[in-house]
Amino acid sequence: MKMIEKIVNPKELRHWDGKIELYWIYTSGKAGDEFFKKLKDEEKFIAAKCKKCGKVYFPPRIYCEKDFGETEFVEISGEGCVRAFTVARLDAYEKPLEKPEIYAVIDMDGTDGCLIHLLGEVEPENVEVGMKVKPVLKPKEQREGKITDILYFKPV
Amino acid sequence: MEVEKISGLKFHKKQDVAIVGAGMTTFKRRLNETGRELSYMAVKQALEEAGMTLDDIEMVVMGSAPDTFDGLHMKGEYLLDGSGGSDRPYMRVFVGGGTGVFAPIAGYWHVASGLADICLVVCEEKMSSSYPHPQSAFKYIWDPILDRPLNPNLIWIFALEMRRYMHVHDIKHEDIALVSVKNKANALDHPCAQVAGKITVEDVLNSEPMALPVRRLDVSPPSDGAAALIMVAPHIARQVTDNPVWVTGVGWALDTTWWTNRDLYFPRYVAEAAKMAYRMAHITDPRKEIDVAEPYDPFDYKELHHMEGLGLAKKGEAPILTREGVTARDGDLPTCPSGGLLGVGNPIAATMGVKACELYWQLAYRAGKRQVAKEVTTGVCQAWGDLMQVGTVMVMSNKR
Repeated sequence: MKMIEKIVNPKELRHWDGKIELYWIYTSGKAGDEFFKKLKDEEKFIAAKCKKCGKVYFPPRIYCEKDFGETEFVEISGEGCVRAFTVARLDAYEKPLEKPEIYAVIDMDGTDGCLIHLLGEVEPENVEVGMKVKPVLKPKEQREGKITDILYFKPV
Repeated sequence: MEVEKISGLKFHKKQDVAIVGAGMTTFKRRLNETGRELSYMAVKQALEEAGMTLDDIEMVVMGSAPDTFDGLHMKGEYLLDGSGGSDRPYMRVFVGGGTGVFAPIAGYWHVASGLADICLVVCEEKMSSSYPHPQSAFKYIWDPILDRPLNPNLIWIFALEMRRYMHVHDIKHEDIALVSVKNKANALDHPCAQVAGKITVEDVLNSEPMALPVRRLDVSPPSDGAAALIMVAPHIARQVTDNPVWVTGVGWALDTTWWTNRDLYFPRYVAEAAKMAYRMAHITDPRKEIDVAEPYDPFDYKELHHMEGLGLAKKGEAPILTREGVTARDGDLPTCPSGGLLGVGNPIAATMGVKACELYWQLAYRAGKRQVAKEVTTGVCQAWGDLMQVGTVMVMSNKR
């Protein structure tokens, strides 16, 4: 076999099949626990404020990334405004989506942080950078303490 | 520029390197804290011990073993903010189980080269994410054509190695089990320990057979945890502490990855790495010149194996030294005074906490209840990993 020979189907060569079968369970950690409990049980959003420099982290963390000061949890409204957005029209297999999906980076009010999430109840052509949005949550009995407990953000 | 030329090594050192602070989290089978949170906790403790803040840190080295444990591709990037790496030069190094001593070696070259005066080294592992057991991740390190169809796992590879070691030197399992007894007892004095205990040789010999000769109590557990070290230039060391511990030699070496083609009874990869580190540290007779040792002990026979690789015992002699109490905490060559991986736990890269960090604590006389009885000046720590063929060695001294 020459190296320049073009191989279209590797299964025509002597070969072995293989796959990597692994599963993971990710714990939400100290800050994540607090954040998702509040969201699920109380429909409330929290951020974390550095006790040293005052920077407000969202999503919350137990430490300040810049000075390693400890943080304290502070309640925020959960509302924010669109910092950037994109309209996805193809799925991961490059098939057209039935309905385009709008993904936005949302600048969360009262924090120095942002969240990436879907926009809903709005048409792509009406979305603007700077648009004020608020979260729409799943009904309480369907919430599981996950980021998808937020269905989407909608215009205020 | 002043440089030190070391004979036999093409190595130009710009400045000496001292360790001035260390920290580690508790080691547990499962922790709720994320890898980032664990890294932060270890770093915070190291900064406090060194009397520093994150502002003082110029560069960061992160050590973490396979991405498959935490379940995050490019886990070095994921761990960046929790390890203080934001807005500064940051790199991840990785040689599997050898990372726990390789990460501080990388920290050393950051400072020794003069590129940084203060370098933070962080190691993290969260093995509990991997489900149902981190052992399943090891299945995929084998050659997919020659080895994997036989369904190997790490335990039976080590069982083969242990058998070979026992056969060549005519060593009894009883003598190997003494290492597990010693290390688990040492770990009773370690606040971070996961599997400390007072056990007997009989307990080890009667524990559940895994892949004979390896039984349950011959093996360290999987763990979650993190550890951190702060390495600095001499002028910084003078400012922050009266008791710096100097890194006097580093070495690492890889044997062939065709593991069946090695003679398993002797760890050549450790011997080569030690040769490099000892040459740099001007050590010619390690058995006499090393006061305290932290060889890598994920299995009890591995401590013995590695002592022989490090030249702390002749080939086949390490079990005799153990039986005679030489390696006990109050012995002439205290070995794994931390409690090691067998007693404190084995969060792969984060075992830096019981290897490089412990050696620093011992030589700085900061090991508390674990402090060895004899007076100590020079020590060696070592880790082992990759495809069971990397040796990483660091020699430290409290005299410059």
